[in-house]
Amino acid sequence: MSNTHPDMLALITTLKMAGLTTVILMLIGTPLAWYLAKMQSRSKVFIEALVALPLVLPPTVLGFYLLLLFSPQYLPGQIWQQATGQQLAFSFSAIVIGSVLYSLPFVVQPLQKAFEQLGDDLLEAAAMLGASAFDRFFTVVMPMTKASFITAASLGFAHTVGEFGVVLMIGGNIPGETRVLSIALFDHVEAFDYAQAHLISISLVISSLVLLSLIYLLNRPAKNKRVKSKRFN
Amino acid sequence: MLASISTRFLLIALLMLPITLVAAKDTASENEAPLRIAVASNFAPTLKQLLARYNPNQKHFLSPILIAASSGTLFLQIEHGATFDVFLSADSERPQLLSTSGLAMSGSLQTYAFGQLALWSAKGNIDSDLLVALSNNKQRLAIANPRIAPYGKAAKQVLESLQRWDDYKGRLIQGINIGQTFQQTRSQAVNLGIVSNSQLVLNNFKGVLIPSYLHQPIKQQLVILKHSKQIAQAERFVTLLMSKQAQQFITESGYASSNEINTNE
Repeated sequence: MSNTHPDMLALITTLKMAGLTTVILMLIGTPLAWYLAKMQSRSKVFIEALVALPLVLPPTVLGFYLLLLFSPQYLPGQIWQQATGQQLAFSFSAIVIGSVLYSLPFVVQPLQKAFEQLGDDLLEAAAMLGASAFDRFFTVVMPMTKASFITAASLGFAHTVGEFGVVLMIGGNIPGETRVLSIALFDHVEAFDYAQAHLISISLVISSLVLLSLIYLLNRPAKNKRVKSKRFN
Repeated sequence: MLASISTRFLLIALLMLPITLVAAKDTASENEAPLRIAVASNFAPTLKQLLARYNPNQKHFLSPILIAASSGTLFLQIEHGATFDVFLSADSERPQLLSTSGLAMSGSLQTYAFGQLALWSAKGNIDSDLLVALSNNKQRLAIANPRIAPYGKAAKQVLESLQRWDDYKGRLIQGINIGQTFQQTRSQAVNLGIVSNSQLVLNNFKGVLIPSYLHQPIKQQLVILKHSKQIAQAERFVTLLMSKQAQQFITESGYASSNEINTNE
């Protein structure tokens, strides 16, 4: 690992960060989106606003508060240190936690929209046939909202790859741990190493374009998007 | 009808012109606009205090607009046509590059300050012996990125001079500039940091001074930019900055004095 090219190492770190962040976001985001889609109370608006906050806040603001929270002065940082023996600030865990918060709306919003558009009738029918809540979710909801799941995961991943401000604040630029592509790019530009900077930039532009094109391709309104009803006879 | 209105309007505007010029003359001599000074972030607070002290009520020149960022960022902006009048860098490399590429006014290159490093912990007292303090620390150390920040390059040289570089290489937190390194150390998210002494002086913190002979001088140089339309005012600013009192003030603000550097070299 030590003789890997620094930029390759940064790419690997970036993919690890974005991959793990996406997995965590799907696990947290799915129940949260479901809860928000089905929620009737007045506090829904407030929670929705909280989820959407990373869309409008400068990432540096998020990073600044997280750095404080992750430092041993504050409770979250202390608890983490006691539980793991490691310091949270300037660690791989820190940039993953930061990314989860930062990319949350990109996962929750498409899922919530999909769940809201789902009619109740199929779910009711499944319930009448004795399917449990979990069963209903995995056999009825998920197949019907598959495209939204793929969209949510891809957007969460892509957005995390492009992250800069949060990682800048809580990462500390440690090779192999918190030095991701966007940080490596910044270093190259500041050090006048434009050849390397161009290489990273153009790779990011192309790969992001490809990924986003795939997402939009997937979301094109299909010609016959009716759910095939199973016959029970 | 329409034409006559616009003609009348034009006439009124023309008549008003001398009045606006006279009004402008009251606030600024020779129609000067405030200087736009691009300053390396580490020197910005000192510069603000210095201006408040030595240019009260805009005595010598209008209160300048300060644009503070890392030297690298400012250099890039200047290369791409940013309209600054003066550039105060944290290093000598970038002002010299601007001089050779013809973007700086010839003969305007000067050293206005020498950076001074200090070892500091926000968690409490550290051993006043630099080597002991560095050896005692088994955790991480914050330094500015040696590849892009002048203070980081010097910090690396200090660790190399003390034969501590290999020991620390794997546990360095690198800030994009000395400002971020100070903030990282101040947040106590990292135990120990090599920061700029001026940051400690500014905040009344106590650290361990790092002798200048352990690293190459951090020569902070300035240039007046060639395309500036405020050359006269820029020169007055530089004269003030290089004056004996201002230089004394800069040293008191935590920068090394040129005498100290010259005896070491």
